[in-house]
Formats: sequence, structure tokens, C-alpha cells
Amino acid sequence: MALFAVFQTTFLLALLSLRTYESEVLSEPLPLTPESLKVSVNSTCQCLHLQWTVHSLAYHQELKMVFQIQISRFKTSNVIWVENYSTTVKRNQVLHWSWESELPLECAAHFIRMRSMVDDARIPKPGFWSNWSSWEEADAQNMLGHDPLFVFPKDKLVEEGSNVTICYVSRIHQDNISCYLEGVQIYGEQLDRSVSAFELKNVSFIREKGTNVFCKVDQGGVLGGIVLFVSKVLEEPKDFSCETQDLKTLTCTWDPGSDTGLTKQPSQSYTLFESFSGKKTLCKHRNWCDWQVAQDSQETFNFTLLAENYLRKRSVSILFNLTQRVHPMTPYNLLPKNVGATKATMTWKVHSIGNNSTLLCQLELLAEGKVIQQSNVSIKVNGEYLLSELEPDTEYVARVRCAYTNHFWKWSELISQKFNTAEAAPSEAPDVWRNLKLVSGHPTPLSKVHANGKILFYNVIVENLDKPSRFEVLSIPAPASSTELTLDQCSYQIHVTAHNSVGPSPASVIVVSGDPGNEEVEKGRVNGTEDGFSVSWKPQSGDATGYVVEWCDGPQDLPCVLQWKNLGPNTTSTVIRSGAFRPGVRYNFRIYGISTRRMAHLLEKKAGYLEELAPSDNPQVVMSKLTSRSFTLSWKDYSTESQPGFIQGYHVYLKPKAGEQCHPAFEKTVLPEDSVCCKYTIDNPEQKTFVVENLQPESVYEFIVTPYTSVGEGPLDAFTKVTTLDEYSHTLIHIILPMIFCILIVMIICYLKSQWLKEKCYPDSPNPYKSSVLSLIKSKENPHLTIMYVNDCVPDAIEVINKPEGSKIQFLGTRKSPTETEFTKPAYLYLLPTEKNYSGPGPCICFENFTYNQAASDFASCGHFPVTPQAPRHQLGPLTSPENLLKALEQNYMNSLGEIPAGEANLNYVSQLASPTSGDKDSLPTNPPEPALCSEYKMQTAIPLGLASAPPSENSSLSSTTLLGQGEHCR
Amino acid sequence: MLPAAGEPAAGDSWGMLACLCTVLWHLPAVPALNRTGDPGPGPSIQKTYDLTRYLEHQLRSLAGTYLNYLGPPFNEPDFNPPRLGAETLPRATVDLEVWRSLNDRLRLTQNYEAYSHLLCYLRGLNRQAATAELRRSLAHFCTSLQGLLGSIAGVMAALGYPLPQPLPGTEPTWTPGPAHSDFLQKMDDFWLLKELQTWLWRSAKDFNRLKKKMQPPAAAVTLHLEAHGF
Repeated sequence: MALFAVFQTTFLLALLSLRTYESEVLSEPLPLTPESLKVSVNSTCQCLHLQWTVHSLAYHQELKMVFQIQISRFKTSNVIWVENYSTTVKRNQVLHWSWESELPLECAAHFIRMRSMVDDARIPKPGFWSNWSSWEEADAQNMLGHDPLFVFPKDKLVEEGSNVTICYVSRIHQDNISCYLEGVQIYGEQLDRSVSAFELKNVSFIREKGTNVFCKVDQGGVLGGIVLFVSKVLEEPKDFSCETQDLKTLTCTWDPGSDTGLTKQPSQSYTLFESFSGKKTLCKHRNWCDWQVAQDSQETFNFTLLAENYLRKRSVSILFNLTQRVHPMTPYNLLPKNVGATKATMTWKVHSIGNNSTLLCQLELLAEGKVIQQSNVSIKVNGEYLLSELEPDTEYVARVRCAYTNHFWKWSELISQKFNTAEAAPSEAPDVWRNLKLVSGHPTPLSKVHANGKILFYNVIVENLDKPSRFEVLSIPAPASSTELTLDQCSYQIHVTAHNSVGPSPASVIVVSGDPGNEEVEKGRVNGTEDGFSVSWKPQSGDATGYVVEWCDGPQDLPCVLQWKNLGPNTTSTVIRSGAFRPGVRYNFRIYGISTRRMAHLLEKKAGYLEELAPSDNPQVVMSKLTSRSFTLSWKDYSTESQPGFIQGYHVYLKPKAGEQCHPAFEKTVLPEDSVCCKYTIDNPEQKTFVVENLQPESVYEFIVTPYTSVGEGPLDAFTKVTTLDEYSHTLIHIILPMIFCILIVMIICYLKSQWLKEKCYPDSPNPYKSSVLSLIKSKENPHLTIMYVNDCVPDAIEVINKPEGSKIQFLGTRKSPTETEFTKPAYLYLLPTEKNYSGPGPCICFENFTYNQAASDFASCGHFPVTPQAPRHQLGPLTSPENLLKALEQNYMNSLGEIPAGEANLNYVSQLASPTSGDKDSLPTNPPEPALCSEYKMQTAIPLGLASAPPSENSSLSSTTLLGQGEHCR
Repeated sequence: MLPAAGEPAAGDSWGMLACLCTVLWHLPAVPALNRTGDPGPGPSIQKTYDLTRYLEHQLRSLAGTYLNYLGPPFNEPDFNPPRLGAETLPRATVDLEVWRSLNDRLRLTQNYEAYSHLLCYLRGLNRQAATAELRRSLAHFCTSLQGLLGSIAGVMAALGYPLPQPLPGTEPTWTPGPAHSDFLQKMDDFWLLKELQTWLWRSAKDFNRLKKKMQPPAAAVTLHLEAHGF
């Protein structure tokens, strides 16, 4: 063998020597020159692919050679790349080499040539190059179509952060081509007359649909573009881990990181390799993968997760033992069993893992969201645990999780179950307090009970301590927490028990004394803080069994929501907290001591504010005793109790006249609006009057009274103006007032005297001769008309109606008693002219005429006759114009009214009339009006025939007729 | 049509009576009152017109979203690229004279064929969309466009025109071939939306014209009734 090797070497050297000799002498190319060089373009990867052979290497087995490759762009002299490629060459072997171009190959022609050199250790002096091969041209432009403008590379996929060179090829040879990246112009380098290149550095991801790069000929309508797909860098999977629930299937999970989601590139794929078994599986999901454990009980696993996309691969590995990665399944069927008031048994099941394996289960008990018990139980399949020390009638949540006992890896998921314990009799006495509404005693027990079940009702037993045999039992259904009892002056002991479905609670006892207990006690103040009111009191010297602090939660002007706090016998202070406390509201606390007899005695009263505020309102000030130099201010109605802070006093502000100085008692101050003011401070909150003195007469002053608390004073907004009096005005008043009084007295005396004189000397009397009726009568020249004298007329009777004094009713002349005659009802007629005046019931004077027939007298009772329409108009006689007559009568009537005294102005004159057609029932009014009320008689005047009233209606015709008849009768 | 309606002077009771008689004479001709007759193609043309307008509105929103998804320059308002590679899309633009010379049947046929093609391309667009929201919007629009196709078919059936039968082998297909670059694909998408918009605009015009043509002369009677204060 060694001999063969020596022979081979010798032959090679001899051959090489011969070739060298030939080349030097014959200048022929070396036979080891690369031959059959072919160049192809791959646009997808922008690669030049070279393949060649070395034919001259005949009969040699292998030879290590170096090939030097030159690449030129645009022209052969423009060499852009030189690379030595070493490889072992066999005879007739086709060699391959690729080169990736930064500039898209479509944009430029590339020329490639190569030469070779033997670089084999077996040849001592091989160090010389062969001749260059001829240039091979790779011109992808030939493959382009006939479009005027091309942009390259098409649809390239790159990683974020990489550099990309873009170029365009223009066939129109114009200079006004501009290129844009996402609408923003980019500038590059012109490589050739028709080719320009743009280098994009550190490209970033913009959108799934790719980054747009386009070039266009300005105003040429020629456009070309590409989409550059920028992918985010593939991340290494994080948190890669595997676990099993049943020792049969492994589930591996990981965090895949972000996915670019390019439309050009599918999501990265994940492959799981296991090195011991040599198996692999392509995962269907991005973040988890299942792996079936083989039956040959492999325990140790070495997994490699490989993530890859078009551009990159990332991998991560883990090595673990199967039994150390057991994550049990969630337990099931968790149920409470035998649930009592304080105990319950929980049962559950677990999925078995392998054979005879045990699980450690953790049972937790929660009440109101907090874990109150925790226990660990070792089980195989069925779990059971007794929970004790539970509260009756309470909702609990039990939850269980389990872990593999052999090697703890993870707890299983939790399973929860709610349950309620049963009720029990209330264990505590209800917290009871009373609110004495009245002095006589109306205790209202209030209760706050925490019970072992739903309280159904409260039993209240009221025991009269003064009369021990007297009991009163009340049952108050829940949820009422108060009741009202009416008690007398005796002492009572009140027992309150709460009842649920199981039984009663211990009794709570309070004693209400017959003594109203409104004794005077010490009053104090209490300071409020953010925490509440810190109330303290002096310990009771006697045998106090406890204390109760009582207060109302709301402001004073609202109904009291009574609150109380029970405290032990050794306590002398407490902090009262309530969410209802508000700043600026006065809260009153009463501290009671509870005696051994369960009787409450008021010890102290405290008042306080959570936070004092400045007064929001000023008192209503009344000004009085205004003189020329002083006035008095008073605000007695101002209540200091209902203010938002303890009133410490008042400020009286007085705005003086311009230039006037403040009185020494006042303090000069500047108001917020920069006006100067005099301020007087009253530091006694109960002093609610103030006298402002030393003022100038006839001057305008402005004042305001504002209370102040420890925080500040009230608003200084509404000053009241006051003008002091003239200095002498009060003196004048002392003189003028008595004078006015005297003048008044004199005037009254004179008035009384004048009335008396007038009545005595010049009584008013009506004069019939002066009546206007007379003038009317005379103008008609009726011989029958004359004045009727009272003495000439014999009246039948005069009746005055509607006077309470019966003595005024008179029967004159031959008038018989109403009981002796058949005409029991008097008939009356008004002389008043209009029907309107008749109809109203008014006082009048009536003359009764018993010659009237029955029918007439039945209907005429101190009223007027509404006349019937059957009477003809011609019966009016000489009275041709009823309207004229009416006016005259009205005037006469008004004159008469003017003559009578004012007090009798409502009297009417009524004449006694007889019906001219006695017994004629047809002429009767069918609907007589109600009789008018009558008054006393003053005077009657005979009315001539035909002058009686003539109402303007048709009904008035008959009335005129009757008056005519009546006039004859009277004469 | 209404000889007495236009002439009577105010207060002319004979004129009013004549007008009333004329109106009563023509009342049976008012289709709205003629309940027993066939409503004709009018309602379906109106519905198709309304649907076209609704799709125009819907496309405005969809095109905005989709062109933003493509990125600049496609979402720029003045972008007007040459129509490269979008030759297979049915063109909505047509010479006005040619358009006027088309009869109703030709117009409806062209509409029907165009929307059939556009719907197919649009479904391809939907399959390529990357975001779920965009896919949802496109699917909704496709459903509406399918409704428009059905509506046009209804109008054609009401007018007694046969539906155009697709020639075998000319079914439009969505095949973004490897030679078709992504940029050209985006241009196609752009043109698809643009052609859709133009087709909807043209269809609205077509259906409005057809609607007016098919409208019965009821409005004239109503106008006269109002003019005389009945």
C-alpha cells in the first residue's frame, strides 16, 4: 500500500512538472482551469448560482483546490467581489457556489470569472493559479417585461433591523423619477443611466401587509413598486416546561412571544424533539404540545423545542424526570355531609395517578372570603375530613386541591363548595337600650343581636317592680328592632330575649325607673378627630356595673337615630366612631352609669363637633332705640346650639362715616373688599344685645353682627344701613305728641256737639211739596191728582216686618187680628219702579190691606206682583209713556233716599193697594217672588192712578192696571 | 289629462264641479287606489335603488379601512395609479353616448354581470385579509352585495328579462399567481374597490332612471287635488 502511494506521488509530480514545463514553454492554459462555468440568477434569494467542472483532473481520485471567483457589476472591469472557495475536487465533479447580492440582480448585469489552484498537501509546490476562465454574464434584465419602470427586489422578506438595498430600472431614461418609502420620498445613488439604488437601513415592522416602496415618473403616470415584508425577529420560546396529569401524557407549554403575522410568511412553527427516544412531533399549537409517553416506562426526558420561520430558528431544551412533573387533575365531587350547627364533614374524590400512588390534599375553610382553617389529608381516591368549631347558621366555603405525594411539583386546580351550618339557639343576650321619650316614661327597647340563626321574634317581658305580680309579655316579630311601651310612674324591669327556630337567647335586662331622671348633670365638650369622638367621663363612685354612651347619629334638626355603646365597669373613656358623623354638625353624647339593679343614671352630657366650621349664617339683628348718637342691636333669637361650631362670641362691624375715627372700644380692621371698618368683639356667646354709642347725629352707618367660632366668623356680606336721628328731633317729639293728642280730644268733642245741635234744632224732615213727583203730576194737569195727607187717609193697618222687636208691629184702626179674619196673609206692593229692585229680598215697609181677595193675599207677601201678560196695554190710561214715568219715579225715589237719615237709607215706601178685579184669579202672578224683609215705617205717599211703576217688560202692563184701581180705592 | 283642472277661476263653482268630476273620473287610474292590480316592478326597483345607495355608504367606510390596511400610497386621497394588472375587473366607466344608447335590459345585464365578478373578487380579498375585524367587514359587505345581485335578478324577472348565463370557463377566479407581485396585488385591490364604487354610483343612476320610467302618472292627480284645496 505504501509502495503504491509513493508511486502515485511520483507520478503526480512528474505530471505536474511536465505541465509546468509545457505552460512555460508553450504558453498553453493549464488543464486545471475551471471549465463549463455556468451562472444562473435566483431572484427569490437574489443569488448568483455558479456551477463548473475541472475536466483536466483526469484519473485523479481527489484533489483539494482553491477557486478564486471574481464578480464584476455593469462591466467586467468593475470588480465588486473576490472570494476564494476551497473544496475537494473529483474528476468530472460539478462544483457549485452561490453568492447573494445586496443589489437586486435584476438591476445590473453581473460578470463572473474564476481561476483555480491546487492546494493539496500532497503536492509540494502547487502554489500557482491557473488562467482565468472567460467572463460569464448574468443579466436578469433580459427576463424583465416591457414595462417602463421596475422596482426590485420584489416581495422580499427581511428581518427587522436589517439593511435592504432597493433599486429601480427605468426603460424610459428620464431623470424625473422619484421613489417613496411609505409615502415619504427617499434618495439614493444612481448606478447607471437607467438604474438607481436606495439603501434602507435598519428597517422596522410597519404592518402585516408589508411596507410599500414605489417609484414614479413625475407627472408621467408611470408607477412601479414593491412590498417589503419586514418580519420581527423570531423570539426564543420562554417558560418552556412539561408536566403530566396521569403519567401517560406529557403536556409541554411555552410562551411563544410575539408573532409578526405577515401575510407573506406563515406563523413560526414549533417542533418538539426528544433526544433519548429520538422522536419528534410537529406541534399544532403555538404555545403547547402533547407528547405521548411510551409504554416502556421511560422516566427521563430531554426535550428540545425548535421554533422556526423563514428567516431564523430558535431552540430551547429541558431535561426532567417524569415523576417529578406530576400535576394532578382537579378533585371532584366535593360535598358537605352531616352538616350540623358547629360541625360538617367534607368528602371529595381524586383521579388516580398510576398504581397505588397517594395524593396530598389540602382542605381550606373560608368564611367571608378569608381562610379560617387549613388541613392536609393524604388519600388515594376518596377524601373525607371533619370540620369542627364552626359557627351556627354561617355560610362557609370549603375548597380542596391536591398534589402528588412522591414528589411535590404543583397543586392541582381548586374545587370549591359552599355550605351553611345549621341554626342554634342565640348564644348572646340582645343588646338592649331604652330611649326615654317623655318625662313620664316611654321606654323604647332597641336591640342589636348577633344570633346563631335567623331571629324570628323578640320576647319583651315588662315587670312592674312596684307591683311584682304584674307582668306584661310582648312578642315582636323580626326584623323590627324596637318597640314602644307606655309605662306609668312605677319602676319597671324589662327582659328581652331573641328567638330563632331553635330557641331563645339569654335575656337582656334593663330597669326603667319611675324617676324621670332629668336631673342636672355636668355638661362638657368633646373633641372630634378623624377617628371619631374620644369621650371620657368620671368613674362613678358607687357600684356601677357598666356604662352606656348614647348619641344620635344625625344632625339635631333631623329625627334622632339613637345609637349606644355598652362599656365595662372599669372603662372611663371610649372612642365613638360612626360613618354618619359629618363635619359642622353638633353631636350630643350622654353617658349613663348602669347600677347593679340594671338601672341607668345619667352621669354627664358632652357635645362636640367632628370638625368645627365657621358659621354659615349671621343672626337676624333687630335694631332699636335709635337716637341721634346711639342705637341698640339685638339678636335674641339666634340659637348657638345649631351652629356648625361652638360659638365663641360675636363681632360687631360698624362702617363709620368717611373720615370718622373708630371709637376706642372698637378695633380698626380692613374688610376683604379693602374698606375700613370698626370691629367690636363680644366674647360672651350669650350676650345677644349691643349698644352702639358715640355716633354722629344725622349720619349713615352700616353695621353687621357676625358670630365666630374657633375656625372663623360668619360671612361679611350684608351690612345694614342706619341713619342716626337729628339731635333735637327727640325734644320736638316730646312737645308735638301731647299737642296732637289735645287737638284730637277737642275735635272729637266738637263733633259730638255738632250732632246733638243739629238733631235738636234742625231735624231733617221730608217735604212732600218739594217732591219731583209733584212737578210731573202738574205737568199732566190731571184734576184727580193731589197730595195725599196722612190725616186724610185712614189706614187699615201698618205692619213692620223683620224687626226682632215684636213691639214694633202695629195694627192700626179697625184692623182685626190676623187670627180673626180669613185674610191671614198680608199683601204688599213695592212702589219701586223696576222689577230688578223688587226681586231682591230687602227691608221694606209694608201696608196691609185686608180688602184683597184671598188669592191675591196668598201670593203677595211683602213683595211685588209680577203682572200677567194677559192685561191689555190700553188700560194704562193717561200714562202713555211708561219709560218717562219710570225715570220720574226713580228720581223721586232717589230724592227721598237723600232726605232720610243715613241709617235708614234702606227703607222703602210701600203703598197699600187693592186689586181692581177682586176674585179674578187669572190676573194673579203665577210665580210670586219671595217676600222682602221689611223694616220700620217712615212715611207713605199716595201715588196717583196711572203713576204706578211700569217695568219695561211686558209683564209691567198688568202692574200698571192694578195700581190704577188701587189709587181710586185709597182716595 | 285634466281639461277642467287648470282653468277655473276662483269662486267659479262650475269650474270646481268640473274639476271634481274629472278627478273622480281619473281616480280608478291611480295605482295607489287600485288595490286589486299587480304592483309591477316599481317597488322592487325602488328597493334595489335603496340597496345600492346603502352599499355606496357602506363601501365608503370599508374602503377607508381597507386602504389604510394596504398603507400609503393606496390610502392617499389623490392616489390615481395606472390600471396595471386589473384588466380583468369589469369597468364601470362607459362613454355617455354609449350609455344612453343602452336599453334597460342591457343595462341590467351589465350590472348583474359586473356585480357577479366583483363579488367573486371581493370574496378573494376577504380570504386574504389579515385582521379579523377586516374580514368581518368584508364578509358583511359581500352579503350585502349578494343581496344586491338578488335584487337586480328580481327586477329583471319582474321586467321579463332573462338572467345572463355565465359562459363556461369564464368564471372569474381569485388566483394571486407568483408572477403577480404583492405591489400589483395591492393595486388590484385598490382598483377593485374603486370599480365597486363607480359601479354602485352608476347603478344608482341606472335604477333611478328605471324607477322614473316605470313610475305611474299618479303624482299629477295628487298635485291637482292639492292645488284646488280639496
